[in-house]
Amino acid sequence: MVEMPVAVSRRTESAEQSELRRHVFRRTTGLAVRHVVLVAMAALTLFPVVLIISTALKTPQDVRSDPFGLFSSFSFENLRSAWTVGRFSSYLWDSVLLTVPSTVVVIVISTMAGYAFARLPFPGRTVLFYLVVLGLLVPFFTYMIPLYFQLRSMGLLDSLVGANLVLISTNLSFGTFFMRAFFSDLPEELEQAARIDGASESRIFAQVMMPLVSSGAAALAVFTFLSNWNNFLVPLLYLPSGKYRPLTAGLYNFTGGRSMDIGPLAAGTLITIVPVIAIFVILQRQVTQGFLSGAVKG
Amino acid sequence: MRAVSNVPPVTRRAQARLGLLLALPVAVVTAVFFVFPMLNALYYAVVDFDGLDPTPPFVGLSNFTEMFTDAATWHALGNNAIWIAIGTASPMIIGLLVAVVIWSGRSGAAVYRLLFFLPFMLPGVAIGIVWGWIYDPVNGWINRALGAVGLGSMTRGWLGDPKTAIYAVLATAIWATCGFVTMIILSALRNVDVELVDAARIDGANAAQRLWHILLPQIMPVFLMVLTLTLVGGFSVFDIIFIMTGGGPADATEVLGTYAYSSAFQLNRISYGTVLALLITVLAVPFTIMLNRLQRRLSLQGLGA
Repeated sequence: MVEMPVAVSRRTESAEQSELRRHVFRRTTGLAVRHVVLVAMAALTLFPVVLIISTALKTPQDVRSDPFGLFSSFSFENLRSAWTVGRFSSYLWDSVLLTVPSTVVVIVISTMAGYAFARLPFPGRTVLFYLVVLGLLVPFFTYMIPLYFQLRSMGLLDSLVGANLVLISTNLSFGTFFMRAFFSDLPEELEQAARIDGASESRIFAQVMMPLVSSGAAALAVFTFLSNWNNFLVPLLYLPSGKYRPLTAGLYNFTGGRSMDIGPLAAGTLITIVPVIAIFVILQRQVTQGFLSGAVKG
Repeated sequence: MRAVSNVPPVTRRAQARLGLLLALPVAVVTAVFFVFPMLNALYYAVVDFDGLDPTPPFVGLSNFTEMFTDAATWHALGNNAIWIAIGTASPMIIGLLVAVVIWSGRSGAAVYRLLFFLPFMLPGVAIGIVWGWIYDPVNGWINRALGAVGLGSMTRGWLGDPKTAIYAVLATAIWATCGFVTMIILSALRNVDVELVDAARIDGANAAQRLWHILLPQIMPVFLMVLTLTLVGGFSVFDIIFIMTGGGPADATEVLGTYAYSSAFQLNRISYGTVLALLITVLAVPFTIMLNRLQRRLSLQGLGA
């Protein structure tokens, strides 16, 4: 009678132990498999980026004999010729001139409109809001062709102002939606307290509410900057003469020409993606927040 | 909606004034650069505009009848269908699996998440150029790798062969999209009830069962949202194809976007290009609305984020 429980408990103990061992074993194989999968995916993800860097930093002779062998030589010659002969210095400048003003204006207008839609009842709000939503639904394709002729008759074709305005309008629906979500989340009490203290409506907006959405505005700024920096279609369509040419259009133009110039092309590609990667690494929180809340809230 | 009753009329008037003022810029820009060209698109669709004639002749619906009897339209539409089917399903499946693998581990999640997301941020031109090198018939890494494992007979100019070109471009697009899916699904997985997953494990559910019956239902709204985004993007795909193949070789990769572009800006058939662009819209918008509805209904049922 005394033996039994001991035996039972011993048997369960060993069963538990083997169960535990099996579990730990499964855990480690699971972890190993997981590790292999992730490392393989990471290699696949990074390989093209590595290929750009490697090709850009080879000597021109090496590019000619073995263009895609990884890191088989080292020189800044391709970067130098892309910068000077390939005109990538002016492409970079045009990219800045297209991206910075449009981003600033998108942030300003979106913040204003986001606040109005979130917290201020005004006549025509519903209609206008439907138009903004429509802007999110309708692809740019729908109206890009008429817009070309509209810009032409406005004298804005082939001008930085025109291209900036298009970049602003294509980002505005998203921006307004995005900022509206941030303003909607703020508590009503803040507004009421400021009003009781005698603040005017515009002061409530500018000095009470606006500082509270600065993180949202920052995320929107990073998001808008990147999408404008990467934009290809707008310069392709609305800057046709090549008088102004941002990096994306410059790169495309380069591919159309002499296919032998892989070295400078790689260098130009590197010049184009370095700011993107830098922003991504430094401002990763804003970047992911922008993409996530944009996607989830919108 | 806010309680209007306790707001004095003075405040309400001030709010309306400020609201109009703050919404004015968005109204102006939207009217001039969105509403006006959209209405113009409808006008272009029923005339025959060559880009020069200030008073193009009215042609009624003949642009539309031409579009539907044009074999090139159907060919492009077929490529869009391939693009939507493969280009949506693959990143969704790969992205979901990678997200679950990252999520189920303990360490390194932040690093992997950032790393996988990187391609989505890169400009399409850069992606197109570097993948063009990878597909290079002579020096490209794909052919090198095939040769190295003894499959040298399979090597080809991936983008120059009409049979493989569309799939080669698709693979590039999938490479660029997976990280986006991964990141969004990972953020949804953060809200998943872990106790349910553990309970299922104890009840003997294997990994696939746990994924299908426990995880997926909980992240369904977010899953549908990513699905919408990639699906709708498939109708208006342009950049990556235009850059990598320009619709060629021999129209093998022509989609509605590239066909609309070349009709309008290379052949000066402005009206025809506009009608093709309208077709993209008509196809894409109902999908967006439908999936959005579905997503909203699911999140109302409290199935997740």
